[in-house]
Amino acid sequence: MDLREKLNILGDAAKYDVSCSSSGSSRCAPKGGFGSGCDAGICHTWAADGRCISLLKVLFSNACKYDCAYCVNRRSNDIPRATFTPKELIDLTMEFYRRNYIEGLFLSSAVVGSPDNTMELLVRVAKELRIVHHFGGYIHLKAIPGASARLLFEAGLYADRSSVNIEIPSDSALQYLAPEKNYESIYRPMNYLAERKIGYDSDHARHSPKFLPAGQSTQMIVGASGETDLQILRLSAGFYQQQQMKRVYFSGYVPINADKRLPAISSKPPLLREHRLYQADWLMRFYNFRHDEILDESNPNLDVDLDPKAMWALRHPEFFPVDLQTADYESILRVPGIGVKSARLIVSGRRFSRIRLETLKKMGVVLKRAKYFIYHPDTPASLRRLYPEMVRPFLVAKKRPEQLGLFDNFVPALPGALSR
Amino acid sequence: MLVIHYDSTFDGFLSVVFEIYRQHLDVGDIVPVRPYGAAQSVPTDLFLQPFRVESDEESARRLRRAILNLAGEDVFAVLDAAFRSEEPGVEMKIFAYLRKLFAGDVPAYARNPTSEEMLPLFCIARSVRREQGFMLGAVRFCKAPDGMYIAAVEPKYNVVDLLAPHFRSRFPNGRWAIVDMVRRYGICYENSRTQLVSVADPAAIAGIERADSVARMWKSYYDSMAIKERLNPELLRRCLPVRYWKHLPERQVDASSLVIGGRNSEKRGDNGLGGANLPSAVAQGRSLALPHNGM
Repeated sequence: MDLREKLNILGDAAKYDVSCSSSGSSRCAPKGGFGSGCDAGICHTWAADGRCISLLKVLFSNACKYDCAYCVNRRSNDIPRATFTPKELIDLTMEFYRRNYIEGLFLSSAVVGSPDNTMELLVRVAKELRIVHHFGGYIHLKAIPGASARLLFEAGLYADRSSVNIEIPSDSALQYLAPEKNYESIYRPMNYLAERKIGYDSDHARHSPKFLPAGQSTQMIVGASGETDLQILRLSAGFYQQQQMKRVYFSGYVPINADKRLPAISSKPPLLREHRLYQADWLMRFYNFRHDEILDESNPNLDVDLDPKAMWALRHPEFFPVDLQTADYESILRVPGIGVKSARLIVSGRRFSRIRLETLKKMGVVLKRAKYFIYHPDTPASLRRLYPEMVRPFLVAKKRPEQLGLFDNFVPALPGALSR
Repeated sequence: MLVIHYDSTFDGFLSVVFEIYRQHLDVGDIVPVRPYGAAQSVPTDLFLQPFRVESDEESARRLRRAILNLAGEDVFAVLDAAFRSEEPGVEMKIFAYLRKLFAGDVPAYARNPTSEEMLPLFCIARSVRREQGFMLGAVRFCKAPDGMYIAAVEPKYNVVDLLAPHFRSRFPNGRWAIVDMVRRYGICYENSRTQLVSVADPAAIAGIERADSVARMWKSYYDSMAIKERLNPELLRRCLPVRYWKHLPERQVDASSLVIGGRNSEKRGDNGLGGANLPSAVAQGRSLALPHNGM
């Protein structure tokens, strides 16, 4: 099997892993080598499905011994199997990196032999890149559930970010769909790495080595089992607080395996739901929302027609209208249509001049949404209260007009004549 | 009323503003004379009198110091970034801002990012910086036969020389060059020195782009990364606008497949330089290079 074929198989096998970021590490190029980290992360290209590609995302091997229902690489699937040698993978990474195709390597693997065995292979590649080739680019290593602490620790020394996927948002569903996995085995490496990282972060000595400078991330599959959005957000809020995760990714379930336990193979991936979850995730990370503000037991799911911020705003009419001249930054941030950049601009600009509607427009604020939630001198007195039921129709995206088919309503004169 | 022509550099523009103040000129418009493209022919205005101002380092430095003293580095960086957009009329917008800044009528004018003159410049600068960040990822090097890594780019704004620090710290021991195919200049890094070079023959570089086997491997990897069930051409175009595809090997269509056809395959045809020409073509491009600014 030639290298190109291997790359295609193992790239194809890794594509369902959604983690793509290359942020959080500002490593300098090592002496005698090349490669550096960019703190903000750099997207290098976008695949035809619109997802960004910034790392060379491959599996080391896809010959898995597990049989998880949702996974394309499970033991019972009949697919071509391949395994890299460390040298092939290292050369490939360096050649791609040199040409600025990628920001670094994202290395994961199916479980070959034992978890320790697999983890050892991954760590070996990272170690060789860093120590033999003086590679300073970004390395994201998967932590294999069940791997020993020694290997996890070593992975933390060479990688910029590590991740263990939680896969399914509830323990019982996970054990149902992936008989060889459970939450305990997934949480253990996660917690171990989080604890070690906290230990290293509090050590400010100049020469102490870096330990996972870009932290940890995880991913869960949405729509394969019956969890509500509230459960998913609560779980991810827990990850952000307890494990100090940098990112929690959601992956709308793409039906790849015909399995009784999963949605039918003809079902579409829940892309809109995934999008809404990401929006809610953004609210938690950048807009100071708590997960129980976005959803609660009485509304356990996100609104499909409205983004979560507008949904929250309509549920809290007492919070609005916000006066842009006097309100604090956090309240301005809660206005639908105003983002982080605009909110900062408003706060720094209002000390010098009044913020008017046309100023907002020039800043790039989405007035179409924001105008219902802000107070400004031009608002007539009668409209200074928010009536959610009146505003909602204006916020819901209108369906695009569709071209009507000529024969959509066609009723044949003789019923059944056509089919005969 | 005058229409002032200058050499399209930022120093040239600062000299123009300096001269406007020194000679009390009555300005109607400021128009750059670019050394490339359609703008080469200077448009004449029926009612404005043409006036040429030469770039002068000394006056540019004095004006720069004045701006830094009054408004600080952040504002100066915004003006510089806005100027790089090369949008028609951006010179007059910057000039309007400077005039109000130097007049000193409004207290704390320099610190207000939402003033009538600053906000448009701020927004232009924001999109220039966005493209600068985008280009960090969209530069694609290819290995020339002499071991140099060369990239051709066509950014919308004039941001190529801003990319130098990033790539210098990333590839400190390599030899590489990034060439702006439209503006016909590039940055070249060799022996730990970065130089601005002007490029005589951009077509020579386009030839090297084809001859890289790693690029083909990258393309096939790229193709296998897309999840078929989630194809989303609209999102792809929003994230990766079509105007950048020309220099991305992964977005090139192979001659055999006719998925997108037309534009890209034509480009392939006229750039079909033979592999044998390449070393000489590169050497030629570099020997004609005029280092005009140590960086």
